[in-house]
Amino acid sequence: MNDHVQRPPAEVRYADELARLRDADDGARPPGWALSLRAARRFVIGDEKLGVTRKFVGDPSLIDRALVTLATSRGLMLVGEPGTAKSLLSELLAAAVSGTSTLTIQGGAATTEDQIKYSWNYALLVAEGPSPRSLVAAPLLRGMAEGRVVRFEEITRCPLEVQDCLLSPLSDRVLAIPELTGPDAMVFAREGFSVIATANTRDRGVNEMSAALKRRFNFETVFPIADFGTELSLVEAEATALLQRSGVGALPHRDVLEVLVRAFRELRQGQTARGDATDRLSGVMSTAEAVSVAHAVGLRGWFLRGEPGTAADLVTCLAGTAAKDSPDDLAKLRRYLEHQGSGPLYDARHLLPG
Amino acid sequence: MTATFIGVRHHSPACARLVADTITALRPAYVLVEGPADMNPRLGELLLGHDLPIAVYTGYRDAERRHGSWAPLCDYSPEWTALTAGRDVGAEVRFIDLPAWHPALADVRNRYADAEARYAEVTERLCRDFAVDNPDALWDHLFEIEPADGLADRLAAYFDLVRGDARTAPDDEAREAYMAHWVRAAVADAGDRPVVVVTGGFHRPALVRFAEEGDRTWPELPQPPGDAVVGSYLVPYSFRRLDAFDGYQSGMPSPAYYQHLWESGPHEAARGLTEAVTARLRGRGQPVSTADLIAARATAEGLAAVRGHVHPARVDVLDGLASALVGEALDTPLPWATGGRIRPGGHPVIVEMVAALSGDRVGRLHPSTPLPPLVHAVADRLRATGLGGSGEVRLDLGKPADLDRSRLLHRLRVLAIPGVVRDSGPGPGGDPVPAEQWTLTDSDDRLPALIEAGGYGVDPEEAAAAVLAERIAATPGDMDVLAGLLFDAALCGVGALTGQVLDDLARAVGAAADLGSLGRTLAVALAMWRHDGLFHTGGGPAFGALIAAAVRRALWLAEGVRGGPAPADPKRIGAMAAVRDALVHAAAPLGLDTTAALGVADRVAACHDAPPDLRGAAFGLGWSLRGTAAADPGRAVRGTFTPALAGDWLAGLFALAREEVLHTPGMLELLDELVEAMTDDGFLIALPALRQAFGYFPPRERHLIAARLVRLRTGGTSGPDLMRLDATPELVAAGMRLDERVDTALRREGLITS
Repeated sequence: MNDHVQRPPAEVRYADELARLRDADDGARPPGWALSLRAARRFVIGDEKLGVTRKFVGDPSLIDRALVTLATSRGLMLVGEPGTAKSLLSELLAAAVSGTSTLTIQGGAATTEDQIKYSWNYALLVAEGPSPRSLVAAPLLRGMAEGRVVRFEEITRCPLEVQDCLLSPLSDRVLAIPELTGPDAMVFAREGFSVIATANTRDRGVNEMSAALKRRFNFETVFPIADFGTELSLVEAEATALLQRSGVGALPHRDVLEVLVRAFRELRQGQTARGDATDRLSGVMSTAEAVSVAHAVGLRGWFLRGEPGTAADLVTCLAGTAAKDSPDDLAKLRRYLEHQGSGPLYDARHLLPG
Repeated sequence: MTATFIGVRHHSPACARLVADTITALRPAYVLVEGPADMNPRLGELLLGHDLPIAVYTGYRDAERRHGSWAPLCDYSPEWTALTAGRDVGAEVRFIDLPAWHPALADVRNRYADAEARYAEVTERLCRDFAVDNPDALWDHLFEIEPADGLADRLAAYFDLVRGDARTAPDDEAREAYMAHWVRAAVADAGDRPVVVVTGGFHRPALVRFAEEGDRTWPELPQPPGDAVVGSYLVPYSFRRLDAFDGYQSGMPSPAYYQHLWESGPHEAARGLTEAVTARLRGRGQPVSTADLIAARATAEGLAAVRGHVHPARVDVLDGLASALVGEALDTPLPWATGGRIRPGGHPVIVEMVAALSGDRVGRLHPSTPLPPLVHAVADRLRATGLGGSGEVRLDLGKPADLDRSRLLHRLRVLAIPGVVRDSGPGPGGDPVPAEQWTLTDSDDRLPALIEAGGYGVDPEEAAAAVLAERIAATPGDMDVLAGLLFDAALCGVGALTGQVLDDLARAVGAAADLGSLGRTLAVALAMWRHDGLFHTGGGPAFGALIAAAVRRALWLAEGVRGGPAPADPKRIGAMAAVRDALVHAAAPLGLDTTAALGVADRVAACHDAPPDLRGAAFGLGWSLRGTAAADPGRAVRGTFTPALAGDWLAGLFALAREEVLHTPGMLELLDELVEAMTDDGFLIALPALRQAFGYFPPRERHLIAARLVRLRTGGTSGPDLMRLDATPELVAAGMRLDERVDTALRREGLITS
């Protein structure tokens, strides 16, 4: 038994940074917030002077808009391709605004209203009847009662009628508990309550949200990292950390990573660095996927041959990660490799399986 | 008395105000402005009372180089306020920069583009420190929205930092040395009266340094080389062209917003921006509810507060509107966050917002402005070539004099000058006929059209080149139009297409999605490259690069065509033929990758998902390039010989490799055997496509085929005898149907078995 948590929540991971920001915070705080808007912004985009790390790579204006939205009466909807760090951003925002990021609802086909609003402790319910004691509060109810930010991951994967239970909490800021009587029957949202929802554009699910619910959210699109150098350093740093954890002694060379990141960017944007239009793969070509491919490349090289991963390993790994089970994508990938004309990927093109 | 240096950002209202205030307060003897020094004798023209924006256009041409550039001015340009304020206080106003034709400005299309954009490292770091997206937002944050106190010091500090110890290009150094020379002379001449110097902030630190010591006489105006044609004159300009979202080398974006800011301050500008966007969106039928506007306003105010702005800045308002009005995922990032040209695929609401920011104001010149030189140049040239009057003109393009006249007329046609119509002549698709027929009609509409076209250049050649360049930039992706434009360029004899135009062409080719029309462009470019001597395009290397890009793209597209059986597409087949021609004639000089092309051809030929005509063409491409087929042609032909596919496949093959088919022993016999073996129904299905396929043989070769087949089948009768038919085709067809019915009946009754 060990008591090391694999991944503590953001407010624990960055507890000292939050504390420093709180101490140095002299800005006006919106009611119910743990930090001022400016301090919350610094928490996400970093501040060298206070020793606060940069945690999100992207336009600073996106963070500004997101924070201002949370301070207004609309919810914040983060949309974008899978793997663009939407969930990380929502976690960071929640930690900065309310000091907790654990009031989280994970959306899915099986999500029910119980998991969002409240359910009952049935033993107590049978013994005592409905009462605040037998009520089991779910994240939305807790967020409203305590005035905190509630995170709703992958909201569009929930059935429509389940999504719509957010309507009255967002517009009237009240949640009715019809089983209870008296003042307990209505839970009014305290200052500081807001909702951050995330949805990915691949599920095409955003379209299924009702117009009424859409109207209660401000949409912010999170884009893949725009700058090649930034993405490369990020992939390098993350892959290095993963490989060290896996006990790999030799990291893939930087030029292999460069080839990897360039290929991912070109296949994601459907455009080569030179500007020619190419195929866009239907699979997910996010930075996170690039990191996992870099990890796999390093593992292959090290454990199969005891050397750093090469471009040949990269081509072998690409089929599994980029094309997955889609023959169309595999054909596109082959065409992409064939038309490289030269370079390490081109030389290794025969290794693409299938 | 020393000079007061004001480093400005071009087209910045805050700087314009600072310049005007400084000049009014100091009442200097000289106001020195960054601008073309050759315009100094004609400053009066600038101050006639035009409706801004206008621009000083300078055109230059000599044997090697051609260049056209603009120095745009609008109400809130610091250069403009320097001119007007200087005049109002009675100062001597002078432009002090090198003339636009000078080699130091050879890469500059817009004199008032941001010089510091070329040295981006520092601005990037500043953006990170201030947590803003890009230098435009940073500029607003530091200068436009802030109150004016201490603006001059802040500007100086900013530009000192931006300039830092950046190594400047020699071109910038030459300009700075020349400007500093003017400053020294003016300071010496002014005695103890002040001198105000208004230049781009990037140049300021260097000017302050250089102005200390050196020659104090008035500098000489550089003279263009003797053989050069140079002209500078005023042209109307527009907000659209000023806008950085649209143009290359622009300065500040969003002219309509800054015009508003200049006229009524940041608070009103923010309101005006919201109003303009709302009006535009509602005009387009997009719902913008009051609730949305409240949300947008609240967000904008909130953002302004977070970012420390007294009034909402441009990006605050835009961010607020985008948050409130865009209710779905975006495909491209917000243009004001990324900066630069607006990308295709933007959300309609965002596109409208950017358009509202840009505005549609168009400048107008005062009626007494001198006519642009183009008007005189055209009149002179028409008179000199004897094309002055009305009537029909027939030109023989083989004669140099007529070729010259044809080019002049084509240039006028491209400039859309009324009364110049070509009735016949060579076109991009057809045969190159060396004669042209024109109808000229003199009309009163010509003068206004020429004045309007005057903004493009000093003489017809330059203007036509500029118009073509603009059209090429405006039609990305449409290969058919592009092929026509390339051909026009050749007809106009505009010489080498250069720089930006080639980039635009290469980008358009790189983004082409239709193989057929790409093939047409490739064919035109290849013809012009190969017959450079005939067309006198002088664009050998330029077209070479285009051909290489087009071949690469065509091969890429060919490999992506899927969809199985489809009728033959002659344009697609033509594209493959153009690729083959390029590889045959230009592979070595242009460094085309024949091996890669053969690889693509073999893969396409073997791919069962590709349409049959393309597979046939790919097979033919390999066959004709190698001289021998990659796979056994006999097997390949047999493999595709089903009634529905055969003709289409053969069409591709014949188009690319008909020589090889004719000269391979046994091919014709094999085809004969396969056609013979078809059922009557199958033959009728295959017939139209087969006809089309054999259409790729010229008549003489078709005759040869026919003769060989006749010999094969009859052993001697002459072909024409067989072709002659005594009965009508309908009768023969009816007879054959009767035969068929009899055969069927006999077979049904078991009387015959075969």
